Amino acid sequence: MKRHLRLFLLYLAQYTKVRLAYKADFIIAFFSSMAATVLGFGFVLVLFSKIPKLQDWSFYEILFLYGFSLIPLGFFNVVSWNLYEFGDIYIIQGRFDRILLRPVDTLFQVIFEKFRLESLQEVATGTLVIWICVRHLGLDWGPFDCLWFALMVVCGAVIYLSVFLILTAVSFWFEDRVGIVPPVFNMLTFARYPLTIYSVFIQFMLSWIIPFGFASFYPTTHFLGRKTFTPYFHLVPVVAATFFVLSIFVWNRGVRNYSSTGS
Amino acid sequence: MPPIIEVQDLSKEFRTFRRREGVWGALQNLFVREYLTVHAVDRINFAIEPGEMVGYIGANGAGKSTTIKMLTGILVPTRGRVVCNGFVPYRDRRHYTKHIGVVFGQRTQLWWDIAVIESFKLLKEIYEIPDADYRRRLDFFSEILSVKDYLHTPVRKLSLGERMRCDLAASLLHNPPLLFLDEPTIGLDVVAKDRIREFLKEINRQEKTTVLLTTHDLSDIEELSRRIIIIDKGRILFDGDLVEMKKRLAKYNQVKFFLKDRSQVAKLDTFARNGISCDRVDELTYLMRFDREQHSTAEVIRDIVNQLQVRDIFVEEEPIEDIVKRIYLSGEVGLQKGEA
Repeated sequence: MKRHLRLFLLYLAQYTKVRLAYKADFIIAFFSSMAATVLGFGFVLVLFSKIPKLQDWSFYEILFLYGFSLIPLGFFNVVSWNLYEFGDIYIIQGRFDRILLRPVDTLFQVIFEKFRLESLQEVATGTLVIWICVRHLGLDWGPFDCLWFALMVVCGAVIYLSVFLILTAVSFWFEDRVGIVPPVFNMLTFARYPLTIYSVFIQFMLSWIIPFGFASFYPTTHFLGRKTFTPYFHLVPVVAATFFVLSIFVWNRGVRNYSSTGS
Repeated sequence: MPPIIEVQDLSKEFRTFRRREGVWGALQNLFVREYLTVHAVDRINFAIEPGEMVGYIGANGAGKSTTIKMLTGILVPTRGRVVCNGFVPYRDRRHYTKHIGVVFGQRTQLWWDIAVIESFKLLKEIYEIPDADYRRRLDFFSEILSVKDYLHTPVRKLSLGERMRCDLAASLLHNPPLLFLDEPTIGLDVVAKDRIREFLKEINRQEKTTVLLTTHDLSDIEELSRRIIIIDKGRILFDGDLVEMKKRLAKYNQVKFFLKDRSQVAKLDTFARNGISCDRVDELTYLMRFDREQHSTAEVIRDIVNQLQVRDIFVEEEPIEDIVKRIYLSGEVGLQKGEA
């Protein structure tokens, strides 16, 4: 564990150095990431300039939900870069060979070899928005709520990671780039709004098939005092742990199935 | 001492499917697939003793890389047994990799954008190399491979030869008893090749590192190893001593001679007879090739000197390339060591 922490810091330091060596590139990436986030909030503002409430969710409640979804997603985005390119870089080009030749866990190497540092702005922006909402909604947060909040962020990030890990591991079996990642990624935006506004089918999908609801909607219900969702809220860590174990299992099966490239 | 590499009935099969063309074909591919089984490596056996330096050769697609990948734990064998340094490579992967160094000539293991020394520092952590050992090894490589000058250069700016030397150093930083090299001299010029070979000899002598290398370049093998294993279509065709192989399988000798002037060329016709061929190398240089069993070299030389005006004459053994080519073509077996 201690060794992995050291390695993580070293990978991070090395990668940061590389990124900062290309300053212009980094600055552009940072501002485009920022612009995407701002536009997202812009959409919520425009929406609420037309309607006073979405079902019985007020502007600040929606904002809270939206802001919260950014935090685990931001952490996930920081480490997920290699997952998107995994099939191309690691499987088709055969770079996974080298991963297998090192005495470190394969997944650790893949996700920590590259960091999308600019996505940390999503974490910062999300936190800022949450702070504003907490004040406007007059929520009374004790230390326990803060702990719950932190736990929910961790669980959310783990859920995103698990889902995309399973999709990524598919490349171990199918080299043909099956384009399932982008549509699934887009489903993520669904869960930035209260699930109650959707049809039962989509609610079911986002809860039990691709559990993005457990990464953003259900966690917030607790802080917004929606007691009907309390059982779901308590299930968040269970869902996160289950999907994580499942994804590691699928990943390891994939690694065994890895067939490398010719020479 | 038990062998450091032991391979028994090792096989690897790949299941591929025939890809149909076009959009409709691609759709069909998703649902109906015709599978083909390719036997990349087919029941091979060999054992390598500690400290040996073995050349593993074969044509493209013969199964060299697949074997190396099973020995290094990258691929899981379909069948058979492989034990290296007491480990089953694919099963004990994380422990095992600390005991081996692997160099792929085609691909670097260094991080592309960072200085060489930074890559080494990462590897130091990855392999948990103690400070003192790391410094000693680094000094050793700086001197013997002369990598010192570009330790601070990013890998992408190095020439192929420089990069290969850094890659070698990187693969040996943790002082593994076993070194696998897949085409280590590919694309290198003569001087760079020579440096790599000298280094490998040195490390084999000093550290008793066991080396298994694949190569296309048979001069690598002649320089480096006494033992070669020849693989073709997934089967081992020959496993044994290089000198022994030459002695037993070289069929031809060749005499190369330089004519004094062009007037001599016309007289060459008289030489083409049973079992002797005469080929032009360049304007005045000719190569005569003949069966060792049928003709004595002394007689051939005497005939040449008697009938032609020659400036210079050289006797050569059949090049190892030619012997190996013949082995591939005939699929010659029967010379396997120990007849396992």
